[in-house]
Amino acid sequence: MYALIKREIQDHIVYFIGAAVFSAVFIVMSISLIHQYDPKMPPVFSIGLGVPAITIVIFGICAMGATQMYLDRTRKISALLSTLAVSRNQILLTRIIAGILAILILLLPQTIAAGILMRIFTPPIPMFGGMVFEISVVVFLMAFACYCIGLQAGWNSNPLTPSLGALFLTCIFVPLILIKGFGMYIVVILVLFIVASLIRTWHTFMKTSL
Amino acid sequence: MDENVIKVENLVKYFDGRCVLDGINLNVPRGCIYGLLGRNGSGKTTIIRILLGLEPPTRGRTFLLDAESTELSAKLHGRIGYVAEGHNLIQNYRVGRLIKLCKDLSLQWNDEFFDHLIETFRLPADRRVKELSIGMRAQLNLALAMAIDPELLIFDDPTLGLDTVARRRFLELAIELIQQQGRTILFCSHILGDVERIADKIGILAAGKLVVDCPLEELKERVKKLRVIFPESAPANLHLTEIINQQNQGREMVITAANWNKQKQTALEIFKPSSCTEIPMSLEDIFIECTKPNPEYIES
Repeated sequence: MYALIKREIQDHIVYFIGAAVFSAVFIVMSISLIHQYDPKMPPVFSIGLGVPAITIVIFGICAMGATQMYLDRTRKISALLSTLAVSRNQILLTRIIAGILAILILLLPQTIAAGILMRIFTPPIPMFGGMVFEISVVVFLMAFACYCIGLQAGWNSNPLTPSLGALFLTCIFVPLILIKGFGMYIVVILVLFIVASLIRTWHTFMKTSL
Repeated sequence: MDENVIKVENLVKYFDGRCVLDGINLNVPRGCIYGLLGRNGSGKTTIIRILLGLEPPTRGRTFLLDAESTELSAKLHGRIGYVAEGHNLIQNYRVGRLIKLCKDLSLQWNDEFFDHLIETFRLPADRRVKELSIGMRAQLNLALAMAIDPELLIFDDPTLGLDTVARRRFLELAIELIQQQGRTILFCSHILGDVERIADKIGILAAGKLVVDCPLEELKERVKKLRVIFPESAPANLHLTEIINQQNQGREMVITAANWNKQKQTALEIFKPSSCTEIPMSLEDIFIECTKPNPEYIES
């Protein structure tokens, strides 16, 4: 298992480095934004930072899943691996673990930084701590859902259906978050989506020719 | 434990509505070297891919080392060495990295034997797999398959792309492996001389069916090619069964027949031939005769 995870990381190292760099840049920008905070500053400024950041995260994570599966399909990596002492379940599982690791590299430093910044710059109200945790969980699940869509799109020779799925998901979640904010209902919807998506990916990966 | 390391039961495979394998039944006992022959597109690679669980069957079941192919565990895969047609290796990896990956993922690794092979084949560890010649890729694939000390070796046209020296070396290695007890080999090749040299059981696929499945010696015994000279022009029909091929030219008739026996010899003598001599047949001759249309009578 360790060798397989190592292989996934080495083969897609660009995504891991990208995640770390993005995370660092985002933290630095957040700190500088807070330092120069002016209550009169229009919210457009923070939205201007947030929207491209979320877009990059969604596309980056989705692209990682798609690349992992696409390269496997075209380079026949699983066809070789599954003739060694490795099962298809292990190949897919290690791939997903690598994806989760990349998401954690992307989000964990930001969550920690957000927690610290909140402690420094906001009044000590427990609500803020809970808010950071809630937002982090939702963002993690959203990133993972995007990753799952990428996995499906990369394995299908016709990636139209998963791409439409991604569009549908975005259309639902963005208004939901804007209207109702982050909350448990979003977590439930995302978990259901992720489970369904993973089952579908697992089924196709196990049944198709390698 | 079953004595058959490979079992194929009524295997049927369709590709886009086209029947590639039509009810194949096949058993390979432990320690046997089975040569699976067939023309291009006859389904040899498909059988191997179904056996290894890389391809789902349309109908029927296949077993490797007592486990159904669709449920082969990682541990069982670790006991099987496979050299694929076209040598399925990760093309953008450097040779050294690919070797390390295969070693890390193997259950056991014979360093001494592997290093000996790499030295013999002179494989450069720092070059990318895609930069290697076809022959070198074949050698690398072979070395990787053999390094795990497999209980079962599956070779799908392993000598494809190898030069004469490398091919000879490969066969010597295969023979060395055969001498180690309990090893079973499934060997597909277009070079029938290689198969004839090492196989002790032969299967021939034609039109989706296994038309031959018997030991090599038995096959040579059962398929006869005769040159018969008649006093006058050769009869158009001898009214004999199991004639694979018949060619008439004036007084001469050349027939290839399966399961030639005394009764058939007596039936032939009714036509009072002046002479009847047997033409020796190599495996290649038998293969050519058997892959012509309608050879459905040699299967044991």
